[in-house]
Amino acid sequence: MPVEVKVLEKRNNYVKFIISGVPVAFVNSLRRTIIAEVPVMAIDEVVILDNTSVMYDEVLAHRLALIPLKTDLESYVLPEECVCGGIGCSRCQVKLVLDVEAKDGDLMVYSGHLKSEDPAIVPVSDKIPIVKLAKGQRIVLEAYARLGRGRDHAKWQPGLAAYKYMPKIVIDESKCNGCGVCVQNCPRNVLEIKDGKVTVSKLLDCNLCRYCEIVCPTKAIRVEHEDSTYVFFVESFGQLDVKTLVLKALEVLDQKCVKFLEECEHAIEEFKKE
Amino acid sequence: MICMLFPIRCFTCGALIGDKWEEFKRRVERGEHPAKVLDDLGIKRYCCRRMFLSAIEYIDGVLMYEKVTMEKHTSHY
Repeated sequence: MPVEVKVLEKRNNYVKFIISGVPVAFVNSLRRTIIAEVPVMAIDEVVILDNTSVMYDEVLAHRLALIPLKTDLESYVLPEECVCGGIGCSRCQVKLVLDVEAKDGDLMVYSGHLKSEDPAIVPVSDKIPIVKLAKGQRIVLEAYARLGRGRDHAKWQPGLAAYKYMPKIVIDESKCNGCGVCVQNCPRNVLEIKDGKVTVSKLLDCNLCRYCEIVCPTKAIRVEHEDSTYVFFVESFGQLDVKTLVLKALEVLDQKCVKFLEECEHAIEEFKKE
Repeated sequence: MICMLFPIRCFTCGALIGDKWEEFKRRVERGEHPAKVLDDLGIKRYCCRRMFLSAIEYIDGVLMYEKVTMEKHTSHY
């Protein structure tokens, strides 16, 4: 069966497609790679110079870390793969500065107040509240953003990916009496009555709950799923656009497979020597 | 969920929600139905929706004490 991909929906940070002709292990590894293996930028180290706000230093640092940063994978490398050995250089880290003081009255500090030394690495949104200051309170800090992977910390999670089996609803026309019980009970409104018989109107909305099977008095309906066809969606949190996210995930997966093959060959060589 | 300030990301899925909080709060306080506001903001999953619906911020309460103590301090000098 040839591999086929059909895009159903594509928005800014979201894509939904049908992928067929691949085993479930493949779609699942793609999902896991997207969530946990694609590197993105996040604040990893914070040097607090002054903090008279009501928020503790560590809570403040944690909030800063969770801010998704727009990521440029061309110009930056992971600290462990960097020539500097992970100490921190212009190839593997970006400095962001936050210097705010509430001079007259309460002041809400937003992610937009962070000043980045690289205009390409900035918060995804300028409107994320970090902390609220009362008059006279002050925060001065330096934050260092680095590339990292979702498997190490949720702050480096680039997005969400999930899939379900392609539903297949089989209706036995000889048994269906058109009573409509399944139509009324379906939580996703997948079915409808046409000419006294039940038909499937929104197949993709079906979540395979099989409630229609249970309620059908004549046992005319059966919910199955297609073999090796899946409905897959990817949502990016804004650090990378979905296209880059999926392509990078495939690249990472490919590298892992190559590495695995190399290791296997190496092990065989070793075995032959003995 | 009682918190100092509204969380930046959803506890369950990790999606960015912090930037949408102020609009949600403003519109709900003005009398709009929370479900409608969440739909407008594009918050689809129920994990993210419960973050908004159950959030109670207490930073303004803390700031109130902060202001009182700061006034006291300044009056000494």
